Amino acid sequence: MNAEKPAIQIEGLERRYGRAEAVRGLSLQVEAGRCYGFFGRNGAGKTTTIKCLLNLLRPHAGTVRVFGLDPARDEVGVKQRLAYVPDSVAFYPWMTVRETLDYLASFRDRWKRAIEAELLARFRLDPSRKTSELSKGQRTQLALVAAICPEPELLVLDEPTSGLDPIVRREFIETVIGAYQAGDPGRRTVFVSTHLIGEFEGLIDEFTILDQGREVLTLGADAARERYRRVCARFAQPPPPPPFDHVRVTRREGRDLELVVTDSAARVMEWLKTLSPEMLHAEALTLEEIFVATVKTGEAVP
Amino acid sequence: MFFSVNYKSGKPVYLQVVDQVKAAAASGALQRGEPLPSIRPLAEQLRINRNTVAKAYAELESQGVIETLPGKGCFLTEARTPFRKEARHKLLAEEIDAVVVQAHHLQVAKPEFLELARERYELLEQKRHDAAPAQGES
Repeated sequence: MNAEKPAIQIEGLERRYGRAEAVRGLSLQVEAGRCYGFFGRNGAGKTTTIKCLLNLLRPHAGTVRVFGLDPARDEVGVKQRLAYVPDSVAFYPWMTVRETLDYLASFRDRWKRAIEAELLARFRLDPSRKTSELSKGQRTQLALVAAICPEPELLVLDEPTSGLDPIVRREFIETVIGAYQAGDPGRRTVFVSTHLIGEFEGLIDEFTILDQGREVLTLGADAARERYRRVCARFAQPPPPPPFDHVRVTRREGRDLELVVTDSAARVMEWLKTLSPEMLHAEALTLEEIFVATVKTGEAVP
Repeated sequence: MFFSVNYKSGKPVYLQVVDQVKAAAASGALQRGEPLPSIRPLAEQLRINRNTVAKAYAELESQGVIETLPGKGCFLTEARTPFRKEARHKLLAEEIDAVVVQAHHLQVAKPEFLELARERYELLEQKRHDAAPAQGES
């Protein structure tokens, strides 16, 4: 559909810290214009991967391409076109909010003053305040303003909502990402790592779940919700164990059976119906529940 | 009009929006010529990706439910379908088949089922009727 190069392309990425392996053979691809979720537990390797995209870390093996470019060779070419908000942000403490934004704008080809004014007002950030006087949440807000004003093609967010209060968090998700992508929907890509999967549920259109440095699941959000089902059934007699491997029995007590189905839900439903259930109910798992289900059951990697 | 998204249904989010617009059009809650919310506010309100809303509107447009007037937004069209009668019946028959299967499993017999279908159809007509006077002459 789109002849452009993928915004992000990672193949066989490996990165160690001393003997500790942080990322072991990760591959993923993010098409331009998508809002891509990158989910994993603490220490799964999310931040390490992101740092490899930005040439803040060199991969030990594998390749990383951003807009088809190698961030290590073409650092400026890559960084001109993206913006990054890390999980903890630092600014020069002696600068005010205004000075900080002007300073950051000086590195950029473009800077949308209108968006800056809109977001400063929305976040109620006082331009004359010193950055050292800002709370953690306000510093994150400032970083978001600075990331969106240059209208980058790729927005890389590492735990962007940590430290934000619930109201600002909602606002961030409802408006900031919308405002950013509305400018040029086909080309503006968001790559977001987060633990607050539920908050991003509607925004994410594709995601990768990372566990212990490896990819455990990559799927479109709609496809995932179609594929992962929780099924509850009650029978006249205690039911036999289900003869499928893509089914995890979460409860089997007396006449009750509760399953998480990770594929071919239709076949499982057919089987259950042949047992003449008194009650049969299926619902989709949310992305957060899918995350918990896949990471919990994932085989421990030696 | 009010939209809501239910992730537990397992139905793709854009199709949920499509179905809700079609339901509102069928019940008269949304009238011909009335504008649909524009993409960004609706995306913000539902906390979903704007691409999802755009996809829903594109689908509605291809089904002839809405039309896009450049610079003005999306509007509900007259109930006019691009399909011929046989094709329409075939599309509907597929949906009905699924419901008939469901009825079988829920042990709802044929007369009961047909009565229920009639009731639901009449409920929709009633809603249309109730919604109509608010429009005035056009």
